[in-house]
Amino acid sequence: MTAVEITGHPRNPGGASAGALAPRATDHMLAAIPTLWLAVFFLAPLAFTVVFSFGRSTFGGVELGFTLDNYATALSGFYGATFLRTVIFAASASALCLAAAYPVAYFIARHTSRRRTLAILLILIPYFSSFLIRVMALHMLMSRGGASEIVLNALHLHDGPLDILDTQTAVFIGMVYAYLPIAIVPLFVVLDRIPRPLIEASRDLGASRLKTFLFVTLPLSRPGIATAVLLTAVPMLGEMVIPKLLGGSRGVLMGQAIASQYLQSQNYPLGSAMAVLVLIAVAVIVLALARLTKGFDEVAA
Amino acid sequence: MSAEGARIGDWRSRIPDAALLIWYGVAVFFLFAPIVAAIVYSFNTGVVNKQTATWTGWTLHWYPAAWYDLSLRRSVEQSFIVAFWTALVSVIVGAALGYAMVRHPVASVRRLLAGLTYVLLIVPESVIGVSLLLFYAVTRIPLSTATLVAGITPLTIAVVALIMRARVLTLDRRIEEAAADLGSSRLTTIRLIILPQVAPALLAGAVMAYTFAFDNLVVSAFLTTPQVNTLPVYLYGSLQYGPSPAVYAAASAVFVFTLVMLGIAGLIYRSSRRPPAAADA
Repeated sequence: MTAVEITGHPRNPGGASAGALAPRATDHMLAAIPTLWLAVFFLAPLAFTVVFSFGRSTFGGVELGFTLDNYATALSGFYGATFLRTVIFAASASALCLAAAYPVAYFIARHTSRRRTLAILLILIPYFSSFLIRVMALHMLMSRGGASEIVLNALHLHDGPLDILDTQTAVFIGMVYAYLPIAIVPLFVVLDRIPRPLIEASRDLGASRLKTFLFVTLPLSRPGIATAVLLTAVPMLGEMVIPKLLGGSRGVLMGQAIASQYLQSQNYPLGSAMAVLVLIAVAVIVLALARLTKGFDEVAA
Repeated sequence: MSAEGARIGDWRSRIPDAALLIWYGVAVFFLFAPIVAAIVYSFNTGVVNKQTATWTGWTLHWYPAAWYDLSLRRSVEQSFIVAFWTALVSVIVGAALGYAMVRHPVASVRRLLAGLTYVLLIVPESVIGVSLLLFYAVTRIPLSTATLVAGITPLTIAVVALIMRARVLTLDRRIEEAAADLGSSRLTTIRLIILPQVAPALLAGAVMAYTFAFDNLVVSAFLTTPQVNTLPVYLYGSLQYGPSPAVYAAASAVFVFTLVMLGIAGLIYRSSRRPPAAADA
């Protein structure tokens, strides 16, 4: 690269004159635009949250300072239980999502180009409809006298009215529903890149289909698994719409709890501390997944 | 696959394939069922202007009702405005970010920008939402369409940047160097060499940003005011007193509109890819 830059200048006499920006200046400008934008509209607000999480709530205001009281409150009693429940919920719903998504991604990746495009499109199209209307429709389908009740009764899988709404199960179904496409895409991308000859070699050397899958395909798809878990578990930690609509008043999750601290209780320091706890949980997930994909960085680059 | 099947010649080897096909079918059914239900229920009569889970009869009433409902219509217009500006800002800032991530001369800057992009993707929306609410409350900046757009952009910028990065990685660097050798400034090179090549990727990014912003609920729920009320926030608010089938009609109409726009974008994308391929041949 440096060789090109050195030879580039003598051949480029007009570059320095005519008020044109030096190449470096343009590069710095291109890096500065997004950095400044994000510093103001993303990093600064997050910094405010972190600062406020150490503050003290007073009547109708906030006294900034350094206290860990908010964290103590956020980790004990009702809030602590909510945090724990949210983490367990996100982990298990993400795992379920992954289990449901893997066979779908595997199926799509095995097809040839034309059919594959159609197969992935069918997964992505629902994503372009309103998220809220889909959850509202899911609510209708699961409610008493709704379609699921009729179908389940007709198939004799269930008898009588269906009381699934306002339970953890309904929230689970809603979460898996909402995040399934997001889990399928990264798995598909990675499975698609596994070289066919590798699979064929394993089969030629006498491994069964199951063994080939367990010892060749599955380990090679680890980066996809990590991305799928990241893209499902992280938003689930903050999810507030699905639990509210499908879970009713029972089983409040962290997203709703934080929002209510801001919107109803007006206890900004406690809400901020809870938000920071969610960010810490996110960081733990990222670190755990970084271990899972160790050694894949070179391949990705 | 067929050769493999013939070699083993066993019906049992087909079972995994059949199971995969069935599982895929179940997944597609699961994903489409609520959408189909929402569209079907936009024709449901309902009870006293409220949507009901039990079917109460067909009607075409709700589509004109949605059209003439002023607050509903204003929320759809507001969503279009927010989505347009978010897409525009995200494409400009995201393209700069994606390009700098690959081509910035300093390696540590490239790493820093890539790290920043990933952070944008992994902060839960509710955390961004409350942080922005706090930020605007403390700085006393009044909430407006502009603050809402600025609030949604971090995530969409990250999406555009990653699409842009993937495309720039495939570009032949020697063409840019040749342009520089021939006296082209960096900006001219970007305008004449890079932009035409990345245009389809930017279009795809713009479509993603637009759709995301149109549908955004969580960040919007914290940053809307009675004057700035997008469709998802309107729907969310209507849940408290029971939504009318008209909101299903509005959402169904918007979905069909989105699919048509995506189809058109897809056609533009395909036709834009054809000329270079023809030139190669």
